[in-house]
Parts: sequence; structure tokens; C-alpha cells
Amino acid sequence: MTMPDDSADLIVDGAGPPPPIRRLVPGGAPTIVLPPPPGTITAPNGAGGTGPTVERRVSALPAAQVAERMRTEELRIAYGGKEAVKGVSLPVRRGEVLALIGPSGCGKTTLLRSLNRLTELTPTATRTGRIVLDDQDVDTLEVTDLRRRVSMVFQQPNPFPMSVFDNVAYALREQGSRKPRKGALMEPVTEALRRAGLLTEVQDNLDHPALRLSGGQQQRLCIARALAADPEVLLLDEPCSALDPKSTATIEELIVRLREEVAIVIVTHNLQQAHRVADKVGFMYLGDLVEYGDGDRIFSAPREERTADYVAGAFG
Amino acid sequence: MATTAPAPAPVAPAVPRRARRSGTAQDRRTELVLALVAATVLALCAGMLVFVFVKAWPSFEANGLSWFGDGNVDQQIGDIFKSPADPADYVYTIGALPLIVGTFLTTAAAVVLGLVFSLFTAIFIVEFAPAWLNRILEPVVRLLAAVPSVVYGLIGILVLVPFVAENLISTERKESVAFVVQLTGASWSVAAVILAVMIVPIMIAIIVDALRAVPKSWTEGAAALGVNRWRVMWTISVRTARPAIIAAVILATARALGEAIMLAMVAGSVGFIPNPFDGLTFFFEPVRPLAAAVVENAEGLSVIPFGQTIYAFAFILLVSSMVLSLGGWLAKRPMRKYGIQS
Repeated sequence: MTMPDDSADLIVDGAGPPPPIRRLVPGGAPTIVLPPPPGTITAPNGAGGTGPTVERRVSALPAAQVAERMRTEELRIAYGGKEAVKGVSLPVRRGEVLALIGPSGCGKTTLLRSLNRLTELTPTATRTGRIVLDDQDVDTLEVTDLRRRVSMVFQQPNPFPMSVFDNVAYALREQGSRKPRKGALMEPVTEALRRAGLLTEVQDNLDHPALRLSGGQQQRLCIARALAADPEVLLLDEPCSALDPKSTATIEELIVRLREEVAIVIVTHNLQQAHRVADKVGFMYLGDLVEYGDGDRIFSAPREERTADYVAGAFG
Repeated sequence: MATTAPAPAPVAPAVPRRARRSGTAQDRRTELVLALVAATVLALCAGMLVFVFVKAWPSFEANGLSWFGDGNVDQQIGDIFKSPADPADYVYTIGALPLIVGTFLTTAAAVVLGLVFSLFTAIFIVEFAPAWLNRILEPVVRLLAAVPSVVYGLIGILVLVPFVAENLISTERKESVAFVVQLTGASWSVAAVILAVMIVPIMIAIIVDALRAVPKSWTEGAAALGVNRWRVMWTISVRTARPAIIAAVILATARALGEAIMLAMVAGSVGFIPNPFDGLTFFFEPVRPLAAAVVENAEGLSVIPFGQTIYAFAFILLVSSMVLSLGGWLAKRPMRKYGIQS
């Protein structure tokens, strides 16, 4: 949904017209419902992303279960001189889901991809500033090692043209120098599928082609594939944007469930989704991290005007 | 011209609807012409196969299965050429196994060698080579595909064959098999190497295109799982490009099967079955592939049984190519199951 361009007054540093902005609810601002008392779990709101009310799915974990895994310090990324991320410092914690929100083209995906150095696959991309994983600069890590610990799930489900089993086993097979036998892989593969909430649907058809699964199943398969290598951080780049509401709800439940085991960063255009799953929210606009804080606070009482405008759907 | 009443409104949408159903008249004409052209090509192919088979039949009929047996094939070809003029006395006896082995050896060795080279070159071009190198490498590869085969033959016979004869084959080695065959340097392995050089460019071109066509989401997805570039290439791109690699192999094999001029110049032109138990000498032994035999004997076609024998050689080549295509199709079939498109 693109809106007529009447947002010129919102351009902060005069860097051309702002990118198109997806509006939250057609025809009006969303009703934000304040979080339920801790401990209550609310059911997903039917059609994910279009319902009139937005509720937190689950309360925050106790502080003892939250631990910092990653951190960016003054991170800047440019594509051939054009800066896409402008000095972002941000913590990523296990036990919390961090959602990056903001209009398209404002550096969210770039920031996400830099966390496991996938930006290096783009030849023109340059990066300054530090990214730290468990107190180690990621530049000092072997890139394959880093990507095993910080795994990524993409916007479009991208299962490989292999069987369901081979997809999940892929990372495991590529990990060791010796190829494990299929029997030895069965247990970690089913475990990964179970964690991704896909096992019951595919356990009788592990030999079936992965590309025959539905879109939602394919995306959960990709999550299972990422989980199989036991990553510490899971990066999700708009994982539900290609999916129907029911699959979206399933994946959101999965994200909330996984946050106890892995640190999760999710880029999303769907503000309601961000509110449903995220403990911490970062709002990015034109490469800047405008505001970062508790999800509830960002949505109910944003401090920055730009954040307020965006979460109220007033942009565009 | 009389003015016509404006068409009633409801009629108007009927036109596009009919157009959707069966196309405009022009579409139908185009379809018909294209179908005719395609049918002509198919008919020519089928006609050629039948024609060659009919021409070749007397040779097959006279020899039966021993046509495919071993024989002193050079001597036999000479005898057929000297057949008496009376059709009742035509000589047909031939055991073409040495020619078939010669074709098989040169083709198989060239394709295996060529596949290894072209696959790794293609991977290098697609994934590892810097852009400036690719700008040189790719035009050169395409140019190599256009070099006439007689040029390769010339280089082979003037450069490679003397080099092999002088530097790689010792006098003792020559003497060790002197009573069976002469080692002149012209040999199946030299022929196979040159043949490999000839088929590599087209294979590289096909495989490079196929590797480039692998969806980026797959290679990126694999890279995001912590797999290095080489393994991503090998386990995702090459795997996905298998149908194209098979197609490249088939095309290259067909090219190698049909190559005549270069092989006639370089392979030795001796109807001999190289003996693998000769050790290293095996590689220096000459052969006479079918296609080379055809082109070497083209001037004798007016002798009827001789012409029929040559047609029989051609028929074997033709059938081999067809079997090859069928084999490629069968090999690609199971890949479709997992969504790999050819």
C-alpha cells in the first residue's frame, strides 16, 4: 500500500524524497492496546497484521534470562559512497526479540545482513564501526564460523532444491570435515524440525522435495535449516512478508518460543507484528537509528516525533 | 461507401473474447508457418536416418553381427574397394570394431578431460575470477569455439605429433610394439587432447550460463549458513546446474563423435585397437575413428559396396548421437523431482 507523497516535511537531512512507506491500517491509525499483565498469553489476532487491535503475545522474560550476545558500535555501511547505515549502536540479547522497524530502504536489512557479514557478498559495500559477538570483534572471526553462529532467514523462503531432510541436514553436513552418515543426522534434523514447529507436518515425508511445501512450511523449513547448526543469534529479514496470515501467526509464535534459546533480530514492515513479538524495538529512518527501546514504550509513548508519526501510520 | 450503423455496444467485448480463445487470424497464420518449419526439420531428420539406413543395409545384411566384430579393418576396406563390378561378387566382409573402439576412446577421453577442465574453469569464471579477467577470458573462450577444426588438426600434426614422437616415445618403446603397430606420435591420446581443446569452449559457455542462472537466494542462503564459497558453488550451484552440465556433455560428445578432419590428421589412421595392457605404450597407439574413416574414404564412394560400407559407418555415428540425446534426457529426469529445471 503506497500513499500519496505528502511527507516532504519529514525529510530530515534533505536527502531526496523519502522511500515509500507501508501504512499500518487502511484508513486510520491503529488502536494500540497496552500489554496485558505479565504472564498472560494472548492468542494471535486472527489475520496477522490486519486486525484492528494489536496485543503483545507474551510478557518479557525475567531479567536473569536475558544476556547480551551481540552489539554494534557506531556501525556505518555504505554502498559505493551512499551511506545506508549511519552510525548505529545497538545491543542484541538472548531472551529478547529485537525488531527493526521503519520504511523500506532505510537500512534495516543492510544492518541485519552486516551482523553476519553477508554485506560482504556485495562488492560495493563498505563498513566501518565494530560489530561484537560475545566480546569478540566479528572481523577477527572466520566468516564461515561467524555465519554458523549468527544465522539468517530471508524474506523469500529459499529452500534448496533437495529433499526436506537434505535441506535441514545441509549445514550439518557442511560443518565437519568428515561427512556424517544419514543415520547420525536423523536426530539433529528431527530436533531442528521440531524446534521450528514443522516436524508433525513433514515427519512422514522427509524425502519429499522441499519446494513442494507450502510457502509457510518452506519458511519454517528455512528456520529449521538455520537452527540445525545451533546458532546463537538468528536474523530474520521480513520472514513473513511472503506468507499468508495463518503461516505468519505460526511463525510469530515460533519466534516468541525461540527467544529463550537464541537471540533474535527481526526486520519487519508490519508494525503489528513488531508489537506482537518484539521485546525491544529499533526504529530506523534514512539510515539512522532514530529510537530504540522497549517495544511497548515505542508504540505507546515514542519520544521522537518521527517515531510517533511512523507508528501512528502518519508517514506517507 | 455506405455508412454503416455503429456496432451495438454488447458486440464490442465479444471480439477480444474470441481473440483470447483462438488468436487472431494473423496469430494462426504465424502458428501454421512455424509449425510447418518445425515439421520440415523433423521430417528431414527422420528422412536422413531412413535414407542412411537403407543405403547401409547391404553391409549390415552381409556381415550380420560380425560387422561389430574385430577384423583387420584397413585390409578389409581395401578389399571392398577392389570389389569386382558384378553385383553378385561384391565384397562386404568387415569387422568394424577397431573403428568403433577408436571413436569411443577418442570421444570418451576428450569428453572426460574436457568436462573436468570446463567445469572448473566455469566455476572460476563465475565465482572467483576478478571482473577484469572475465572481460578477457570470456571473449577468448567464445573465440576458441569458432576456430575451424582443420586448424586444430594442422597444429596437431605439425606440432604435437612430432613433439610426442621425439620426446615422449623412446626408441625402445617403438621397438617393443614394432611387430604389431608403428608408433609415429599420431595416436588416440594426442587426438583426444586436441579434441578436448575443441569441445571445451562450448562446454564452458553452457556451464557458465547455467551457473549464473542459479537463483541468488540459494547461493546466498547457503553462504548465510556458514558454508565457504567453494562448497556453496559445489553443493548448490553445480548441483542445480546438473541438467545444463549434462546438456553440455551431450553437445560436446556429439561434436567429438562427428569430428573427422582433425582426427583423420592426428589419430594415426590405423585400424587398430589400442591395448590397455601395454602400459604407457597404450596412450601412444594409433586409432582410426569412424568419422575419420568416412572422410578418408570419401573419394571411393562410387564403388557401390564401398559406398554402402561407408554409409554403414555413418549410420552408426547417427544412431550414437541419438542414443546420446536419449540418455541425457533419461539422466535429467530424476532431477526434476526436487525442482531442478533443465
